[in-house]
Amino acid sequence: MSLGIAGMGWVTPLGSGVEFVWNRLRKGEEAIAEKLDSQPGGRCYAVFRVPDAALATLPRHPRLRRVSAISRFATAAGLEALQSAGIKVEANNTERIALVFAISNGGVTYTRRFYSDIVKTGPQSASPLLFPETVFNAPASHLAALLGITGASYTLVGDGAVGLLAIRMAEDLMTNEALDYCLVVGAEEVDWLLCDAYRQWRLLRSQPPIEPFGQSARGMILSEGAGAVLLGRSGSIKLGKTHPGGDYRKRSKAADVLKLVLSDLSDGVGDFIIASANGTFIDKAECRAISQVVESGIIYTFKPALGESVGAGGIWQVIVAAQALRYGELPPLLHAPPQPLFRIARAGDRAITARGAIAISCGLSQQIAGLRLSTES
Amino acid sequence: MPTSTVSSGKSLPIRVAVVAAGVVSPLGFGLPETLNALRGARDCVSPVTRFAVEGCRCQTAGQVPDERLESGNGRHDKRLHRASRMMIAALREALTQDRQFKPQLTVIGTTSGGMSYGENYYRALERHGDLRRAPSWIANYPPQKPVIDAQQNFDIAAPCQVIANACASGTNAIGHAFECIRSGRYQRVLTGGYDALSELVFVGFDSLQASTPEKCRPFDRDRSGMVLGEGAAVLALENLETAQTRGAAILAEIVGYGVSTDKFHMTHADPSGIGPRQAMERALASAQIPAETIDYINAHGTATPFNDAAEGKAISQLFAGVPVSSTKSMMGHALGAAGAVEAIVCLLALEHQFLPPNINFRAPDGDVDLTIVENESRAASVRTVLSNSFGFGGTNASIMLQRSAP
Repeated sequence: MSLGIAGMGWVTPLGSGVEFVWNRLRKGEEAIAEKLDSQPGGRCYAVFRVPDAALATLPRHPRLRRVSAISRFATAAGLEALQSAGIKVEANNTERIALVFAISNGGVTYTRRFYSDIVKTGPQSASPLLFPETVFNAPASHLAALLGITGASYTLVGDGAVGLLAIRMAEDLMTNEALDYCLVVGAEEVDWLLCDAYRQWRLLRSQPPIEPFGQSARGMILSEGAGAVLLGRSGSIKLGKTHPGGDYRKRSKAADVLKLVLSDLSDGVGDFIIASANGTFIDKAECRAISQVVESGIIYTFKPALGESVGAGGIWQVIVAAQALRYGELPPLLHAPPQPLFRIARAGDRAITARGAIAISCGLSQQIAGLRLSTES
Repeated sequence: MPTSTVSSGKSLPIRVAVVAAGVVSPLGFGLPETLNALRGARDCVSPVTRFAVEGCRCQTAGQVPDERLESGNGRHDKRLHRASRMMIAALREALTQDRQFKPQLTVIGTTSGGMSYGENYYRALERHGDLRRAPSWIANYPPQKPVIDAQQNFDIAAPCQVIANACASGTNAIGHAFECIRSGRYQRVLTGGYDALSELVFVGFDSLQASTPEKCRPFDRDRSGMVLGEGAAVLALENLETAQTRGAAILAEIVGYGVSTDKFHMTHADPSGIGPRQAMERALASAQIPAETIDYINAHGTATPFNDAAEGKAISQLFAGVPVSSTKSMMGHALGAAGAVEAIVCLLALEHQFLPPNINFRAPDGDVDLTIVENESRAASVRTVLSNSFGFGGTNASIMLQRSAP
């Protein structure tokens, strides 16, 4: 079975549109952090948010009237992926396109609001309008309804690795020849509650920048948005190999699982490695695994420029990997110190003959995944 | 369709066996207790004790008693969410049946993960309470955590796919696991579902007036809504050929899976029943068997007026006179676990040749033509069964199980 990327869509704090965001990354631009106030604690958090203009082209649709931000991001990214592939969902193919939706925290803003009403004033004040939006598969449902997909639709939950696991699941689904395409979407929205939770977990830093692969893990900045990858039976960027993933029991063991994943994926075509390093403990694990398994290749992570978008992050990695292969170059890796054990992406770095790119993702809640893209040969 | 080659040289579709299963639900701990509850038509719904429900219309649920859940093996395990402990108990039972089973993939359904830990955290924040346990609540909140906890408890290191397709999650997980083996891509997949009661979800259904202050009466003329439940169930699936080669017990086969997405409304099924109907039709097509071969249908049957009407309409259009029951009447709706627990109910029906009951049933709904297994279980010849799960967001899933030929 050979699968390729037929289309992609991207909604990020740097704007929307694959080429638009890619060009900003290439120029070394980074999103500007906004302040988010927490209500009970009175704390202030720095986050990277999607600008309103990024959703300006979102169509009007009854399903989008009251939906959460995550559903809007996902819809915009999903529509772009289909449009870029020239695919329309019509009566003759509504069952031939599957949807796999990757999510980590989900519609956290509506969930918080819904539960806040219960805590403050009791069950009688719970909103029947908000409750359906708290369900993990609400964004997938809205997207499927808007696109007209009537076949398989799955919402996959997990940590930052869930995007790559979703691609693997899509590959599993595409063994069914009755499917022509699988649209894989990853999305996330930020909320002060999430920031507070990650702070309690000592994974958040108060101000940018995210400093990947630094001497000490100073923490990450949360972000939001969505990414979409339309997998089809053809495409100039091939899904070379996916790894089914694995779990680490302790943070100190993450590097061992990453090494297994990288060893399986790295067969000499790993010219680019799109890591998930975000300024936390996972950087050290990725650093160890990459330096022990990969002999050459340029390492990049978008996290300093776009933030940690958790459920969307894995799909963003795939988009970056595909664009890197398409253009034979990577954007510069921002705010990273020189690495003695591997080569990080610098401005102007080009690898015109690059044939392969590996994306590895080490989530903060024990999950690890990876895949390899390659150019058509 | 992928095939396996038999000695005659003729190719047949890859068959998928259930080689082990485990369950924890309000019906009981393990298959024998569950069987007794089903045969005895026991009502396992009781007043909610986990959180205050004074302000809710509905005040009952199917609950798994905490005192029977394993506390684990040490200090660390005491921090585990009760969803993890339910998963551990279910997996322990399955692995006791087949100690050799080593999954290559685990596919589990859930809707709310460790939600009650999220509630603890938010309440403590809102009320400026004690947040010393917050890191532990946060670490044990993610939906994949109970799956990883259960696997780690038994030294299983299979990659996890955790599906959150609302109330269809469990059946979607089993169906996807079935397809993973049938495609030839995997030989052994652990699958199932779990969910633990939480205040947020309980109040949510109450706010929609989907849950009832009365008894849960699926398909009854006077049905007034659902009650919630909880539980965990796992099924060990394996390529039938490799299972037979290693001498594994074959509990049943999964023979078909159908899925559809209904775009009618976020919380209501299309009244025409098109979504459920498509899922069941696709399960039949997947199994390559006619509707007449179905001996029993374990319906989604939440007892809400609209959903039962849509499902009932779809069933009556496809299956004439097939016995139907919703075992949610006995234990409530376990959400992400529902499809998995109900698959276990189907396994027991196949093995012990009986029809599980639809309790609290008083009068048929004149608008749907169904043959309900009213109030008591009954002996029957059961070879092929269908189990339905439908959820918020229009996710519809049906799986078909068949008694393994003796």
